[in-house]
Amino acid sequence: MATKQVRYEALVKALHADLYRYAYWLCREKQVAEDLVQETFLRAWRALDSLKDEKAAKSWLITILRRENARRFERKRFEMSEYEEATITDTQSMSSEQDIENHWLREKIGSLPEEYREPLVLQVIGGFSGEEIADLLSLNKNTVMTRLFRARNQLKEALEKEPEVRGTYNG
Amino acid sequence: MDELQFRRSIYEDPHSTDEDILNAKASDPSKQKFAKEIQQLDDKILNALKVPVPDDMVQKLILRQALESHQQQKKKKRVHLALAASVAFAMGLTLNFMNFSTAYTTVGDYAFAHTEFEASHFSNADEAKVSLASLNKKMAAFHGNFSDNLGQLIFADYCRFDGMKSLHLVFKGETSPVNVFILPNDVDIAFTNSFSNQQLNGKSMQFKDANIIVVGDKSEALDKWQDNIKSNVTWSI
Repeated sequence: MATKQVRYEALVKALHADLYRYAYWLCREKQVAEDLVQETFLRAWRALDSLKDEKAAKSWLITILRRENARRFERKRFEMSEYEEATITDTQSMSSEQDIENHWLREKIGSLPEEYREPLVLQVIGGFSGEEIADLLSLNKNTVMTRLFRARNQLKEALEKEPEVRGTYNG
Repeated sequence: MDELQFRRSIYEDPHSTDEDILNAKASDPSKQKFAKEIQQLDDKILNALKVPVPDDMVQKLILRQALESHQQQKKKKRVHLALAASVAFAMGLTLNFMNFSTAYTTVGDYAFAHTEFEASHFSNADEAKVSLASLNKKMAAFHGNFSDNLGQLIFADYCRFDGMKSLHLVFKGETSPVNVFILPNDVDIAFTNSFSNQQLNGKSMQFKDANIIVVGDKSEALDKWQDNIKSNVTWSI
C-alpha cells in the first residue's frame, strides 16, 4: 500500500507538468486540461499495478489522457463550439520580449492543424522519438515525420512572414 | 545526403543524433548554420509550449487520489463486513440445522436410541408407582385417555422425542422394561410399523392425533401390548 502511494506521488511529481501541457495543447482550455489530468491520474492510480515498467509511464499516461479526451468529445459533442479558440489568449502580463514572442508563437501553434500540433508537442515536450509517437497515435512513422516537418515548416514561415505584426505588440 | 533531404530531416527532428546528419553538419558549414537556425526555432517552440502549470496541481492530484483510496477502503470494509455477516449467518444456519434437524430417519431408529439411552435408569425390578389417574393427566396433553392399566407402570413423563414433546411410559415387562412412546402425529421422521435390532423389537400404531410406539426385548409379545393399548385408549376430539 505504502509503496503504491510512493510510486503514485513520484509519478505525479515527475510527469504532471508534461501531461498538463500536453492536455492543454490538445484542448487549449486551462480548466479542461486540468480536469483531463485529474481524470488521467485517477485512472492511473486505480490501474497502477498494471504499470510494470516505470520508463513506459509517460506514454502510458499519455495514452490514458488521449482516451479521456476522446471520451470528453463523446460526452460533450454538442457543447463544443468554435469561439472557444479565443480562450487561447494568455492572461499573463507580457513584460519581456520573451513573453511577447511566446504569446505570439502560442497563437501560431494553436492555429496549427491538430494533426500537426499533436506530434510536435509529443516530440518537443514529451521527448518521444518518431517511432514512439507513431505508436502513441497509431500512425506509421513516415506520416508522423511528415507532420513534424510540416508543423515546423509552417511555424518557420509564419515567423519569417510577420515580423511587423509582432512589432505591434510592443506598442 | 543532398540538401533537400538534409533540410527535411532537420525539420523532422532538429536534435537528431543520426550519424548521416551529424556527418553532413560537420562537412558543410551552411548545413550546420541551417541546423542551428531550426534548433533555435525549436527552443522557441519549446518555450511557447511550456504553458504555465497551475501551482497547486501536485497537491490536488495527491488529494484526489487520497480521497479515492479512502473511498476504496471504505468499500472494502463494507465488503469485509458483509462477508463476515454472511459467514456468521451460514454458521448459524448450520448450527441450527445440526441441533434441531432429524438425526434419525425413522421413528424406529429414534425409539431404540431413546430406549437404550435411558435403559440404565430403569430396571424391571423397579416398583410400579404411577397410578392410572396421573398417567391420564399426562395423556390429556395428547387428547387421550386409558380406561384401564396397561400393566405395571414404573415411569411416566414427558420427554423430547426428536424435538417433539412426547410421553414416555415405562412398564414392567417379562424380562426387561417395556417402553411406550406417545407422540404427536406431526413428527417429521418416517413412520414404520414394526422395527427391530439385535436386542429389541418395536411396533408403532397410528391414531388420529398421535402415534403410539411400543419397544420391548425379544421375549416380549408386542402384539399383545398393542392390542391392549388399542382396546384401552380413547381419544377425545
